Amino acid sequence: MAWLVEDRLKPYQSKRVEPYLTPEIKKRVAEKYFPRYPTKQAALLPLFHIIMHEYGYITEQAIDEAAEFLEITRAQVQDAVTFYEEFRLTPSGKYVVNVCRSIACELCGHADIVEKIRQVFGIDPGETTEDHQITLFEVECLGACEQAPCALVNEDLHGCLKPDTFVRHLQQLPAEAAHKGNGQGH
Amino acid sequence: MAFAGPVLLKRIPDDPAKRRLIRYSDYCATGGYEALKKSWTTPPEDIIKLVVESGLRGRGGAGFPCGTKWTFLPKDLHPRYLAVNFDESEPGTFKDRYLTDYDPHILLEGIAIAAYANRITTSYIFIRGEYHHEAKILEEALEEAYANGIFGKKLPGTDIVHNCYVHRGAGAYICGEETGLLEALEGKRGWPRIKPPFPAVAGAFAKPTIINNVETLACLPDIVLKGAAWFKGMGTPSSAGPKLYGISGHIHKPGVYEDELGIKMSTLIEKYAGGVKGKYRAAIPGGVSMGILGTDQWDAELDFDIGRKYNVLGLGTAGVIVMNDTTDLVLMLRNIVRFFAYESCGQCTPCREGTAWMHKMLNRIVAGFGRPRDFDMLMEVGLSMGSMPGTTICGLADGANWAVKTFLQKFPDDFKSRLKPEQVRGVTLTPAGATV
Ligand SMILES: Cc1cc2nc3c(=O)[nH]c(=O)nc-3n(C[C@H](O)[C@H](O)[C@H](O)COP(=O)(O)O)c2cc1C
Ligand code: SF4
Ligand code: FES
Repeated sequence: MAWLVEDRLKPYQSKRVEPYLTPEIKKRVAEKYFPRYPTKQAALLPLFHIIMHEYGYITEQAIDEAAEFLEITRAQVQDAVTFYEEFRLTPSGKYVVNVCRSIACELCGHADIVEKIRQVFGIDPGETTEDHQITLFEVECLGACEQAPCALVNEDLHGCLKPDTFVRHLQQLPAEAAHKGNGQGH
Repeated sequence: MAFAGPVLLKRIPDDPAKRRLIRYSDYCATGGYEALKKSWTTPPEDIIKLVVESGLRGRGGAGFPCGTKWTFLPKDLHPRYLAVNFDESEPGTFKDRYLTDYDPHILLEGIAIAAYANRITTSYIFIRGEYHHEAKILEEALEEAYANGIFGKKLPGTDIVHNCYVHRGAGAYICGEETGLLEALEGKRGWPRIKPPFPAVAGAFAKPTIINNVETLACLPDIVLKGAAWFKGMGTPSSAGPKLYGISGHIHKPGVYEDELGIKMSTLIEKYAGGVKGKYRAAIPGGVSMGILGTDQWDAELDFDIGRKYNVLGLGTAGVIVMNDTTDLVLMLRNIVRFFAYESCGQCTPCREGTAWMHKMLNRIVAGFGRPRDFDMLMEVGLSMGSMPGTTICGLADGANWAVKTFLQKFPDDFKSRLKPEQVRGVTLTPAGATV
């Protein structure tokens, strides 16, 4: 799991005027999720799923705003958010390719898939192509071992992968600018 | 033992081309929600008694008797919660996903029955974040169920309005551990809690909470309709009922198959999974936490006694992973240990440090720099961690313990042959030929 220590020497990311938790997002969470739980804090995971979906990553400012909104401390939000793999603190490409590396996929050739992506796109796991199109991650079991080797491309599962066809598929994904967000670098 | 045909998968055709999502109307047309209606006219205590009598044991990994767990709820303490464990992150496990992909209502009916029997206020389906497709299916199925009065209504005979929601995880294996799950539900990091208090007494939001696996709950409708004796007619005396077996790895037809508990692994592989690709060498019986079955354990019966009989931790999730004789078992153990090192939540030192240390040793062995004492050291570090040796909070470390222990015990030569006498500036420290 992520063990994140805050770098106190790093300057605080400059505030942008426009909030990350827009009134629409707040309204959605307040109407749909708050009534589901006895505490506001319990809406933290749903809230950050929305933030990830909207912006592709989580900024310090979003954490601050969430703390205020959920009525808990900034530390509590950071503590929770940094624990979960799907909540990323750095921007990624338009397509996040999560290749499974657990046992059934290793048995069925996950290494060939990763190697092919490395060759064709020139990225290692954890890296993003220069055109911000593709970010590669290796992840643990995706719960689709009968389709090993498999990968999750954004929200879609791709199973029984063959290196060549999978890479061709990735190359044909529609190109577009990377996620919106405030454009600050990694 | 008598298995007359699929129970949980009865609505899902064998032929992949014919499989499709079963909607509310299709579900009802094939006898769906009959069991719920029947239970609504039965006193809740009788349902609990029925589930106790049926011998239904948890399908999430630990095999704890479901009805007994329900009786731990303190009387007259409300609200009470039900957390449905759909985290399914144990490598080799995909049965809950498969079931929900096609038949989400069997789960929802199970939830509704459990909620009625236990006077539950809110049920949360905790589904792993990676299951985007399944979360959508469940949301849609819930909408149908709400529209038809399955949820959002007073439980018959009470003033309790029962609601059911989907709560998505965000990528952490440890949130499958029941108290890690509760923390994630409360919006905190998924750190397992020290027990007691047990969730039945103080679980979600410090209120009495039941945690059950998807497949456990999906067994309920048929138990209510057909009775405890029928359920016990399948499986073995200690392991009653039908079971979903997931199978992957070196076999011809990987997938989810249903049979009763207690079938031989060889039957699962040959009758259902199309046989081994190549020659059988070893298999994981139920997710990587359970350890490994040896070459001579091909006929192991897949039931809750497997641990005692075949020196593995247990049946786990019955997600079988088959390996043929070309498999490098050192690489496989390294994969498993890396999984635990990566997914350890880090609260307990033996787990956090031990898994990372074992991963380092296995990397060393794979790279050809294994030292003779690494074998004993791996065993020692492995054996020292877990809730059973009493050094950790949760069972993740027991999984690492059993994986390492059983690989080394059952396939020692695979490891020992990779270890070389240690040399310092050309001087051999361990004499060549000494036992390692
Ligand atoms: C590390 C760890 C991970 C677990 N992961 C899961 C899981 O993904 N799904 C599940 O149903 N149970 C999982 N369990 C078991 C649960 O803690 C719990 O026993 C189970 O959900 C209870 O439901 P049942 O009695 O219906 O099986 C896990 C346990 C541990 C120790
Ligand atoms: S045993 Fe490991 S995973 Fe479980 S609580 Fe301790 S550190 Fe976390
Ligand atoms: S091991 Fe890759 S999906 Fe399970």
